Amino acid sequence: MIRRRFPWLSYLLVVTGAVLTVVPFLDMVMTSFKGPDEAGTLPYRFLPKAFDLSNYRAAIQQLDLPVLFRNSVVATALITGSVLLTSSLAGYALAKLRFPGRDFVFRLVLSTMMFPPFLFFIPHFLILVHWPLAGGNDLLGRGGAGLTVSIVALAMPFLVSSFGIFLTRQFMISIPDEVLEAARIDGAGEFAVWWRIVVPQTRPVLVTLGLLTFVDAWNEYIWALLISTANPEVMTLPVGIQFLQDYVDPTRTLPIVMAGLVLSILPVLVLFLLLQKHYIRGVMLSGLK
Amino acid sequence: MKPALSRRHFALALPSALLVSGCAAPHRGTGRPRDPIVLTLLSHYASGELKTALQGPVDEWNALHDRVKVQTKAVEFTDLLTTFMVRQAAGQGADILHPYCLWNGQLVQAGVLRPAPPEHAEEIRRGYGTAAVGSATVDGNVYGYPTEMQTYALYYNKRLLREAGVDRPPRTWRELEDAAYRTARRDGYGNALVQGFGLSTFDDSTTVGQTLALLNAAGGRFVSADGRRTAIDSPAGRAVFDLERRLVAKGASDPGVNVYNAFASGQVAMVISAGWWTANLKALMGKGYRDVGVAPVPLPEAGGRRATLSTGFMLGVNTASECPREAWEFLRWLNTEKVRGATRMSALQVSVGSLTGRADDMRTLLGAGGDPNLHPFLDALAYAVPEPNVPGAQQAKSLLRKNIEALWTGQQSVDEALRTTRRQVDQEVSLSW
Amino acid sequence: MVNATLAPEATERAARDRSAAGVRGRARHRRRQAVVAYLFLAPTLLFYAVFLLLPLGFALLLSMSRWAGFDLGDIEPVGLDNFAGLFADGSTFLAPILTNTLLFALGTVVLALAGSVLVATCIDKLRFQGLWRTLYFLPIVTTVVAVGNVWKYMYEPGGLVNGVLNTLGLGSVAFLQDPDTALPAVVVVQAWASVGSAILVLTAGLKSIPESYYEAAALDGAGAVTVFWRITLPLLRPSLLFVCITQFLTGLQSFALIIVMTRGGPGDATNVAALEMYRQAFSYGDWGAASAAAFVLFTVVLAVTLVQLWLFRRKGEDA
Repeated sequence: MIRRRFPWLSYLLVVTGAVLTVVPFLDMVMTSFKGPDEAGTLPYRFLPKAFDLSNYRAAIQQLDLPVLFRNSVVATALITGSVLLTSSLAGYALAKLRFPGRDFVFRLVLSTMMFPPFLFFIPHFLILVHWPLAGGNDLLGRGGAGLTVSIVALAMPFLVSSFGIFLTRQFMISIPDEVLEAARIDGAGEFAVWWRIVVPQTRPVLVTLGLLTFVDAWNEYIWALLISTANPEVMTLPVGIQFLQDYVDPTRTLPIVMAGLVLSILPVLVLFLLLQKHYIRGVMLSGLK
Repeated sequence: MKPALSRRHFALALPSALLVSGCAAPHRGTGRPRDPIVLTLLSHYASGELKTALQGPVDEWNALHDRVKVQTKAVEFTDLLTTFMVRQAAGQGADILHPYCLWNGQLVQAGVLRPAPPEHAEEIRRGYGTAAVGSATVDGNVYGYPTEMQTYALYYNKRLLREAGVDRPPRTWRELEDAAYRTARRDGYGNALVQGFGLSTFDDSTTVGQTLALLNAAGGRFVSADGRRTAIDSPAGRAVFDLERRLVAKGASDPGVNVYNAFASGQVAMVISAGWWTANLKALMGKGYRDVGVAPVPLPEAGGRRATLSTGFMLGVNTASECPREAWEFLRWLNTEKVRGATRMSALQVSVGSLTGRADDMRTLLGAGGDPNLHPFLDALAYAVPEPNVPGAQQAKSLLRKNIEALWTGQQSVDEALRTTRRQVDQEVSLSW
Repeated sequence: MVNATLAPEATERAARDRSAAGVRGRARHRRRQAVVAYLFLAPTLLFYAVFLLLPLGFALLLSMSRWAGFDLGDIEPVGLDNFAGLFADGSTFLAPILTNTLLFALGTVVLALAGSVLVATCIDKLRFQGLWRTLYFLPIVTTVVAVGNVWKYMYEPGGLVNGVLNTLGLGSVAFLQDPDTALPAVVVVQAWASVGSAILVLTAGLKSIPESYYEAAALDGAGAVTVFWRITLPLLRPSLLFVCITQFLTGLQSFALIIVMTRGGPGDATNVAALEMYRQAFSYGDWGAASAAAFVLFTVVLAVTLVQLWLFRRKGEDA
């Protein structure tokens, strides 16, 4: 490659770009330390006068942070767990089991990826509201609040991922049939084959899928906003922080909001930095987010 | 161990769910006649003094009543309509709602609001001014007790007017324009130092509120009497749009500026706004508030009939509430029972610088001294025109605001703005019926 | 092994027996495998039935109905009225809402593509590639609430962007309050947030370009710019196309950032189709119009998806 001299122009471009990427994060952190009369006032100053944690304390106090955190964790765990389980089960069936209708099911999985999520937004909400025998509903789904009273409402529409099924299937195809056959001859049932051989062999792809799903689920906003509007008791972190803002005088609550945001993105950021190889591979596999 | 534990959790969760349950959530209430009732009340009194002001009387009620308790819930005003609709759709609507009256048509059409029982409707028609009753009425039926009432009047900075040689607030549009041009000042670069008349794209009340106050003062209406068409494309509407366009074009108004801040810091000579602003200005301006005067909205010609815009909120009962009788009873106690000469609601509203549509209460509460600037708003209760509350009114208002902003920024001529508003609002309102 | 020691006819018979048993066994085995397969697929298929098929039908029904209330019994069919309403004279759906949607998607693609091409080609020549990529990736793992709020604040008169403008001696701009600048301002944020993954795809594309092309170009004495235009860009075309289309599809659908930053305002300046759908349904209770809007947007998304499939199939045939 042409690397005759020091690529100063490239460095300049990449570093400038990186600074532009990181500065908003720094601004968020700096603002989270600013006093009420420091944020949003002229002239703009990047650094706060002092670094004290009062905004963080205020955020934790006003946010009911433990509850928001618990809701986010429960919803994210439900989604990630379910996606991993259903993807590897369905992926295994589609990759390694022979049965009538396999091609049809596989095409179905592929074609579901063509439907954009917003199309299901309204019907999903109505289906959860009219879920039979839940939240005071009768058998026909009338009369009550349905599943919207429950925290599972946050997770329901995301429990299965067609992309996850596709991804695990592609990986499982490369497992040699002989290995599975040998296990079957040894008397292992299909479930045991799946659990003892297929799952361990596809661990890398499951880690990747789990990480992608976790980040998406943790950051999910629109659906959580809707469900939290219906039932504030299941509010998640992003929604809670958004609601913290004062509409009339946003600059007053700004530093507290920023403190809440810093706290809310920390878990994902740490996870990403620790496992970024897996995550980045996942994004490559999924093409683009 | 595990199942036992979760069953115990369930057993623990059940009674607590009963305690906090609203009557609107029938699956959680027991429905037995003598069991405790918890009425939920959803409003936008989410923070600060509004929240405490409402909590006062609610605590008083809860202390006085053993069986029927009231529990307040609140969201920000910007989320209020969506919260009503989503919770209703999810079967979790509150028993008592505090909607902005603009939405009443939509909420009634969607079957959210329950008409007031005859004796309550009668009481409301008798106790409140026509504008207040009008806001709470849809298709001839009263749907709730009017609460916070806002009327629009002209705020002016006495000092700025005096310095420009204007010795009294304008009474006609000609005087208004004259005073605006004389007070407006700009620096060498064309930045506005003082705006003569504050037209600001900041929010609904600085765009639509001002424009409709002027439109009503000119005898015009936004929506036709049957509520199915817009009536703004009229001589009165054209006159208002012409006036606003002239004020911007001749440099007396600067729509990009946040007029709330600018007026408080003495950079705007006049602006039409609602009564709630007095309390804000007092807090913001301190001593400078001495310079603030309030006068009725100027009329196109001297000696015309006074008119202005009024907006408001009301407390109504959810159709889905299981205990409507108790809910109406609480509302009567809160809104019409008098303590020391005024209702609890009137005292509450005045304590936060607002008004209610009960003129007698207002005279009692404001009569002894008080801020003289509040009196023009109080007088306006008698002649104000309520903001239309037909189905689709919120969408119509958003469309109007958009076209006003396009007019002010010069993206549309007066003709275009009138025509586009008519087309868009007619289409929107026709869909909503 | 055992068979070899047996007499030939015995071996033959044993083999015949075994194969007969094998056929029966295999048939049974296959049946069992089918049962197991469908058992493994059951959660997925059940999910598809409840959260895909049912909602599709429901959405289609709603888009052709008028539903004022909250009782399922009140759904009243109105044919194509909702669609007609969206495109009627005076409706704001086509302009500005749908045009905003296209501009938002297009603007994001252009900005993200330009940025990612520049950075990806430059990163290739640097040390610490991993570090740079990690930094560019941060926005992608960050919740839209954080991204939206931070940028919203940075656009304020007392925020960072205007602070920089003022330091440079320029006047403040009310980015999100001015109808002319609001949409571009939001587009910049969306592009900022998605540039990292585009860089990733393009870097992979760059790595797959054979070194020999560059060596040949270097021998011919071609300058860096010539190399970029003549070699890098053409060979990067598949990756570029991929980034373009996926980014465009995302742009057509996303409205979380807009809800956080502007709620569609000022006026309708940043209102997009998906947000309009959300508001019609959940603020105004017009489920029919909302569902119709969703299907119109779906048609656009589907058209773009089909173009994508067609392009990539053709590319596959070329290869």
